[in-house]
Amino acid sequence: MAATIPLELEAATKRYEGANRAVTALDGVDFRVGSGEFVCLFGPSGSGKSTLLNVLGLLDSLTDGTLWLEGKDVTALSVEERTEVRREYLGFIFQDYHLVPTLTAVENVELPTVFDGRGERERAEELLDRVGLGDRRGHKPPELSGGQCQRVAIARSLINRPSVLLADEPTGNLDRDTGTVILDEFQRITEEGVSVVVVTHDQLVSDYADRRFDLVDGDLG
Amino acid sequence: MGVLPAHRLPVVRIAVRNLGRNRLRTGLAALGIVIGVMAIATLGILGTVLQLSATSAFGGVGTQVVVTPGGSGGAGDGSSLDSLSAVTGGGDTEGFSPRDVQRIRRIGEKHGTVVPMVTAAGTVSRGQSEQIGVLAGTDNPQALFSASDGRIPRNHRQGALVGHDLAENLGLRVGSTVEIDGNSYRVLALLEEGSQFLPIATGNALVLPEGEFTEPYSQIIVRTESQEQAAAVAGELRSAFDGRGNRITVVELSSLLDQIREYFGLLNAVLLAIGSISLVVAGVSIVNVMLMSTSERSEELGMLRAVGVGRTTVMRMVVAEALLLGVLGGLAGAMLSLLAGVGLSVVTPVSLELVLHPRNVAFLLLAFCFGVGTSLLSGLYPAWKTANRRPVEALNG
Repeated sequence: MAATIPLELEAATKRYEGANRAVTALDGVDFRVGSGEFVCLFGPSGSGKSTLLNVLGLLDSLTDGTLWLEGKDVTALSVEERTEVRREYLGFIFQDYHLVPTLTAVENVELPTVFDGRGERERAEELLDRVGLGDRRGHKPPELSGGQCQRVAIARSLINRPSVLLADEPTGNLDRDTGTVILDEFQRITEEGVSVVVVTHDQLVSDYADRRFDLVDGDLG
Repeated sequence: MGVLPAHRLPVVRIAVRNLGRNRLRTGLAALGIVIGVMAIATLGILGTVLQLSATSAFGGVGTQVVVTPGGSGGAGDGSSLDSLSAVTGGGDTEGFSPRDVQRIRRIGEKHGTVVPMVTAAGTVSRGQSEQIGVLAGTDNPQALFSASDGRIPRNHRQGALVGHDLAENLGLRVGSTVEIDGNSYRVLALLEEGSQFLPIATGNALVLPEGEFTEPYSQIIVRTESQEQAAAVAGELRSAFDGRGNRITVVELSSLLDQIREYFGLLNAVLLAIGSISLVVAGVSIVNVMLMSTSERSEELGMLRAVGVGRTTVMRMVVAEALLLGVLGGLAGAMLSLLAGVGLSVVTPVSLELVLHPRNVAFLLLAFCFGVGTSLLSGLYPAWKTANRRPVEALNG
């Protein structure tokens, strides 16, 4: 059967107009992620990998090229439509976790669902169980370790049942052992058919990834 | 453990927690609103108390027409205090002719109660002590006076009604006897002071039946129900006596009362304007605090946008925070103003009833609403700015 490709980027160009010169962050990038695939993107600082992740996550728009999500062209959507698409298809994981310090672990996981009245508390609890933090539900981020915070963030990224998970340096703030735990978690997620795209400096990630890309000066090798 | 309710006002719950993050800053921002609301409410209450005390001190001034014979100012405009003092001093004028009394009675009785009165100065004595008092003669003292002790007869045929100061100086009580020009009178009642606005000084007055006087009436007082009626009586009297020489002077103070009201209205507006300035300052501080706190939480708000929370929701969150500041500050400010008003009634002769006048309750509500409104307005710009930031920028702090 011809399964739809979760995420596909074609001839993607992103230029920033500077004061005196334009900076090309992405230069005709073609990129495709299969269903349940674990992909990692390497590249030095300024190589455009954050830009690529932002474009894939519909947080930034393309100057040129096309982006497909689950077979839909999502290149030129309005702000509201992008928000909607992010909620429906994407999960985000950040280097600094970005948890709300005043909310408990389970509230943080539930957070993306509370504003539209869905309030998936039970699913949030299940997800916390799944990442091994069932006994930390009522703890607030300052009471959790870095690895635990990142696992809460992973649970949060899964609450909306995304088809693609985008992670920006997810192990960047963690020691090697804790990083392994997180990467094991990603691998488990891909087994459920969720694609994972990780932007990183961490060589450990490539041991887990199905495919590895290197981005140099806005170009994929 | 805090529980985030799934379906009940998550925006408000999250706003409450965000305000709790930096309590000092939240407290200071709310304090601005407390001060602003307090300024408006307290100044409003003070204005009302001043105005109501003043108008009650003037009593029935607006519903009363005082007619005296002769007259310096002719029909006059009747609104200046000069003509008022001319009347209060006026025992020396010669008095009304019976025909004029009849005419004034006819006109006055169409609109209210007509009380002709004889006034004179006289020596009042009791035993060895004596004092000069204002002697007034009328058969209908009930229309003009009220008693602090004893009873004022409906039809005054005998006995005397004594003003408060006179009674105190001579040691008079209800039932005592006073002497005037060799005649003895029993004291029927002591007059309450200041309850009515009259052309004679009540405190020093001694009211006798008019039959005790041989002089003609020197004042005719017309009491009406409303200011409009008083003005009508004055107008009709003036036109009836127009062209007959300056036979009467008509003093009607409803227009003076209007001026007093206008003055206090202006005073109130000025007080409110002063109060509003402090509320504007509070609004600016809320804008500042909200901009600070949203910029501190920039990454968190960017994360919310990234995970699919809409712009309107983010905006509502920030506005809810500002609104909460306003509600808390407004409530505290209104309560403090109420306390200040109650304190005023304890420390000064201002009555609690006056402080709790419906108009003051309205001021409290108004000040509270102003406080909430200011906060709401102040929250809009930071909310709009935050909600419309590109998620990428917000995530990068």
